[in-house]
Amino acid sequence: MTAMTGTVAAAGTVGASRTRMEGRAKVTGAARYAGEIPFADLAHGWLVASTIARGRVRSVESAPVLAMPGVLAVLHHQNAPRLEEFAGMLGPDPTIQILQNDRVPHVGWPVALVVAETSEQAREAADALVIRYDQEPHDIAFSAQHPGMYTPDDSPLLVTETGKGDIEAGLAASAVVVDEEYTTPEEHHNAMEPHAAMARWDSGRLEVVDSNQGPFAVAQDLAKMFSLDLASVRVRSEHVGGAFGSKGLTRPPVVLAVMAAIVTDRPVRVVLTRRQMFSVVGYRSPTAQRVRLGADTDGRLRAFDHQAASLTSTIHEFVESSAGIGRVMYDADAHHTSHRVVRLDVPTPSWMRAPGEAPGSFALESAIDELAHKCGMDPIALRARNEPAVGPVSGLPFSSRNVLGCFEEGARRFGWADRDPRPGAAREGRWLLGTGTAAATYPARVAPSTAAVTAEADGTFTVRITAVDLGTGARTALTQIAADALEVELDRIQVKIADSDFGQAMIAGGSMGTRSWALAITAAATELRAQLALPGDIPSDGITARSDTAEAIGALARQERHSFGAQFAEVAVDVTTGEVRVRRMLGIFAAGRVVNPLTARSQLIGGMTWGLSMALHEEAIRDQASGAHVNADLAGYHFASNADVPVIEVDWVDDPDTHDPTGIKGLGEIGIVGAAAAIANAVWHATGVRHRDLPIRPDRVLLAGSRGC
Amino acid sequence: MDFLRPATLQQALEAKAERPAAVPIAGGTDVMVEINFDTRRPDALLDLNQVAELAEIGSDGGLLRVGACVSYARIIGELGRELPGLALASRTVGSPQIRNRGTVGGNLGAASPAGDAHPVLLACDALVEAASVRGTRLIPAAGFYQGPKRSVLAPDELITAFRIGPAMGPQQFAKIGTRNAMVIAVCSFALSLWPQGRPAGTGGTIGTGIGSAGPVPLRATDAEEFLAAELASAGLWESGVALPSTVTHTFGELVAGAARPIDDVRGTAAYRRHALSVLARRTLGWTWDSYRKGARQCA
Ligand SMILES: Cc1cc2nc3c(=O)[nH]c(=O)nc-3n(C[C@H](O)[C@H](O)[C@H](O)COP(=O)(O)OP(=O)(O)OC[C@H]3O[C@@H](n4cnc5c(N)ncnc54)[C@H](O)[C@@H]3O)c2cc1C
Repeated sequence: MTAMTGTVAAAGTVGASRTRMEGRAKVTGAARYAGEIPFADLAHGWLVASTIARGRVRSVESAPVLAMPGVLAVLHHQNAPRLEEFAGMLGPDPTIQILQNDRVPHVGWPVALVVAETSEQAREAADALVIRYDQEPHDIAFSAQHPGMYTPDDSPLLVTETGKGDIEAGLAASAVVVDEEYTTPEEHHNAMEPHAAMARWDSGRLEVVDSNQGPFAVAQDLAKMFSLDLASVRVRSEHVGGAFGSKGLTRPPVVLAVMAAIVTDRPVRVVLTRRQMFSVVGYRSPTAQRVRLGADTDGRLRAFDHQAASLTSTIHEFVESSAGIGRVMYDADAHHTSHRVVRLDVPTPSWMRAPGEAPGSFALESAIDELAHKCGMDPIALRARNEPAVGPVSGLPFSSRNVLGCFEEGARRFGWADRDPRPGAAREGRWLLGTGTAAATYPARVAPSTAAVTAEADGTFTVRITAVDLGTGARTALTQIAADALEVELDRIQVKIADSDFGQAMIAGGSMGTRSWALAITAAATELRAQLALPGDIPSDGITARSDTAEAIGALARQERHSFGAQFAEVAVDVTTGEVRVRRMLGIFAAGRVVNPLTARSQLIGGMTWGLSMALHEEAIRDQASGAHVNADLAGYHFASNADVPVIEVDWVDDPDTHDPTGIKGLGEIGIVGAAAAIANAVWHATGVRHRDLPIRPDRVLLAGSRGC
Repeated sequence: MDFLRPATLQQALEAKAERPAAVPIAGGTDVMVEINFDTRRPDALLDLNQVAELAEIGSDGGLLRVGACVSYARIIGELGRELPGLALASRTVGSPQIRNRGTVGGNLGAASPAGDAHPVLLACDALVEAASVRGTRLIPAAGFYQGPKRSVLAPDELITAFRIGPAMGPQQFAKIGTRNAMVIAVCSFALSLWPQGRPAGTGGTIGTGIGSAGPVPLRATDAEEFLAAELASAGLWESGVALPSTVTHTFGELVAGAARPIDDVRGTAAYRRHALSVLARRTLGWTWDSYRKGARQCA
């Protein structure tokens, strides 16, 4: 062999900042997304969504619409292709069993698809399509007291309830008790790029371009739904413009596009409108959470109880795992966490950035702040006092846990030591000033993946893996990982992603992508280097090594693996108008090995910005009478604008995880965790008023007034 | 849909006379949203962007004449000194993209009670210049608005400009929204001080305008008269002393009392009234402070 490994990269590129490899293509518009890739003979599908919240479709009056210009087909429950009911990655998913029967489970449920020559014709016809319903009374009113609340069974995603010790006795024996309810509203992700899918038959193969977080999983689902060989389905997702969980599973647009391609025998594209995205791609359930903490006067917890309630739809059970966070963060002799859920006539919620931890941390980290105040302790000191040695519920050791390092570094940079702990003590003109802090954590999981690495005859390397870059910089990070694994310069690596033909791989979700894919790429690269060490030339089609990490992952020691962090915020509150201004935020994280500091920082800043948004702005409102959204667009569903976002500083402390071959923990989601609580705690510190309901709107601040001055 | 592109004002007026249902489009930041949401399907759009006359800034007597198609970005960049109140209001409109496209002419054309230009136009006694093939007329801003999204503009008329006195004293604009940008006002308030009276001799020494708290943008006439009388009778213009807090307070109450708000998704009527009294007191504090500073500098 061969000089093929070439110049050894001097110091390794993992850990060095790199701009996105596809950045130029994106900012110049050269990068194409699923909704804009041209195909010859393309037809366009337009989703028709139900306008009632519960009932049955009595009739779909397609005849007049079929006579409209350009209209090719109107699909509905009576004529759409039948779908196999199947169990996907997480079991059966009724949210994609669409146009299969006449039941309407919520406003916005897909009841028809109009296919036409142009998107405008399809939209026009979809608007003209008359659908008659037999309407039934609906119930969309969520509250923890709803009589329909029940305790769901355990699922692969969530153990519903955990407990040890006697909570009531623990509370009774506690000198200091906090017992409060916290609520968070319905929230939506609504990524910049709407969900879009194109499907066509190409020499007997189903070819799909779809905006999703896991093309292999989508290919598997489509194969099962439409009774096809997996080998005859190909799904690609080259560029994805944001997802945040909403594209984590197969969603209705791709199912509809395939149906329409079958019926019309043409390539068909389906793109959701922003309004439709509010109803068919998942969202974060509202939550009502009761947190009960009992402690000694020195702040040591005796009793810990976190009960979380959320909603789901009538067709599918999704449980927002808000009470999970205490299973990692705090221990007590009496420790209990539980979830309940109620089925209402609303769309099915799903994963949204830091599912569970985002709303859960608002409740828990607010309650911890309340406890600190009641104990007369600094909130960081109280957290330090309650640092668990092992997983509070599992009893397993932590692979690494540097939450105190985050608080220490954060407090130093934020100037926490100078803080006057009394609420309402600082004023600047009409503004009351306050600071707050909160802990953050998110699981560092990993899932089996396959990868292929090819040594090309020209001295370059090609990596193939069904990873997806949601705009996070995954493509760039994986190139860095491959370069280091092969010990060559970055420019000799080409990473190809997001094509189900490359084989099984973990989806881009759960903050698991980078770690899962890195493991697979590194394994294939190691194997390739072993092959290249043997004598012989590289043939013209290269030498390829493949990996499958299932076994290696099965062999990992059972441990508590999590990223941790400390969030800090400073706010100014004008209690005469109710305005809240966040003046600065600081987040310090312990998130394992950071592959690309530049894109990592962006992820964390993005998450913290979202936390600010969650604290002050975001709230989807439903009309009780119709069951529909009042504000299903970005003019009405407010999130923070640039002018609301102050200086956000992000950094990380050392967090070597020597138990994992990659040392990577993932940091896509932890940025939002605790951010809203830090802001709410700062608002309390500024005003003396505790806000337990998000968002902290001006009218809420105004009505609450100020006790602090 | 026909797309009419007149090159001159005369052509534009003729087109509007011939097809009164044609919808004028300036920046398009309202029109395109309506078309996109399919709340409006005009037979014809009348594009005003080629008409140079409509993008001019000039003066007429003591008044500035600002073309209907002058963007918010240009008002901020070119008229910040002469029209500080309008420039402040313009800064709160949408985002940079919206400020580059959006115009005061379009704000008037849309006549939404939440439009951010209206309170300032009221507070400055601006005149709306409307033209048709029949001729040109000047409509005082206070008489322009007729109801939510309705004005006195005739079907064959176009707004060609607004005329407005350059500031002769401090001006302020304040707006409440649930975030810091890209937000429709929950309520807004504009205040202008004219220590020596208005250029044209019309109007008193105080001008006010209330936005988003009634079916149309409103003036707080009682508040204006009250404040003008207090300032005059106590010789405050001359002495330049701090305002008695009773004056500020009553001014705020009178402004709140002039509003005719409703409850809607953006806020309750009670919140709007309360917030308006705070905005009124606050803008009065700011303008009076800068008047006193200016007076001291001149002395
Ligand atoms: C994202 C976004 C944010 C926004 N934020 C704000 C905000 O913060 N504050 C605010 O006040 N508005 C806001 N708007 C609304 C809009 O930008 C303003 O009303 C703007 O002033 C409209 O100006 P335009 O030139 O774009 O009007 P256009 O859309 O071109 O026209 C608006 C209306 O006026 C009519 N019209 C236009 N020119 C004339 C004329 N010369 N004669 C007669 N009729 C005419 C049109 O036919 C139409 O009915 C926002 C809009 C968007 C899309």
